[in-house]
Amino acid sequence: MSTVLFMLLLTLGGVGLYLAMPGGRLHVGRAALVVLLGAAGVLVAALMPLAGSHQQALWLALLALVALLGALRVITHPRPVYSALYFLLVIVAVGGMLIQMQATFLAAALLIIYAGAILVTYMFVIMLAQKGGGPASYDQQAREPLVGVAAGFVLLAALTGRVVTAGAAPGTDAAVDSEISNVVAVGVQLLTRYVVGVEITGVLLLAAMVGAIAIARRRAWHESQGGWG
Amino acid sequence: MLAAYLLIGAVLFVLGLIGFVTRRNLIIMFLCTELMFQGIVLNLVAFGRYPLAGTPTLDGQSFALFLLAVAAAEAALALALVVLLYRYRDTLDPNAWTSLKDK
Repeated sequence: MSTVLFMLLLTLGGVGLYLAMPGGRLHVGRAALVVLLGAAGVLVAALMPLAGSHQQALWLALLALVALLGALRVITHPRPVYSALYFLLVIVAVGGMLIQMQATFLAAALLIIYAGAILVTYMFVIMLAQKGGGPASYDQQAREPLVGVAAGFVLLAALTGRVVTAGAAPGTDAAVDSEISNVVAVGVQLLTRYVVGVEITGVLLLAAMVGAIAIARRRAWHESQGGWG
Repeated sequence: MLAAYLLIGAVLFVLGLIGFVTRRNLIIMFLCTELMFQGIVLNLVAFGRYPLAGTPTLDGQSFALFLLAVAAAEAALALALVVLLYRYRDTLDPNAWTSLKDK
């Protein structure tokens, strides 16, 4: 991809995202959609030649579109519940990409942990912290959307500039050893090479559990003492 | 293939970052950190699957599994704190907790 095309793509994406941000510009929502779809189309068209085979390219384009549009709605939707649901779409798309990369166990773990556990917790908290009568004022108005979007896209240009404008696609495409299944291979590696990491992760999860229980107990104690003092 | 996945991962990460900076709802801000984690997972696995030299390894997938555990711990603690803060001030706007800010 040429530098000019890359810069055009970033500018399109930035303008579209700025227009789509909640607050005051809701009447240009349709224009934002057109601009963003254009940017996504250019991005996918640029991604297609990077893929190895025709089938890989089709899957990549589909999953990338779903992931990017989902991520976009997560950060622009004025209702938190819908943001969480669009995040689920991102999880599914990322899981699909992991399967494309033959990381089947990780894809299953991602779906089970995120969609099954973390997202449900988020939904609980969103429902708990919701007032009746439409979206709250702080969801309607973004904080400094222009500066935030500009800074984000400058960072994106810095992160991906070299990768995108490099002539030949980097990275080898050697076949994965399919003698043993991915689950077995990852499990063996976790319990041999990274066994210390697994133990430390256990300690981390225990600490997080103790911390969460301590925070919850604190609330109960305060309320039994009659309010927040 | 590596460049394509790196690009998608970077876009997901930056979208999460923009969301974290611009949204004014504590829950959505933490959801945006999870979005950034997704970009990182894609990067890790892509570098393991399409290495710059040598044969594919499973190190990226192992790192991503640890990242899932950290994300779960983070979500549990952060959401417990968010519920506690909501009980204090009855709002999710982070501007309600600026008493430590230099006036």
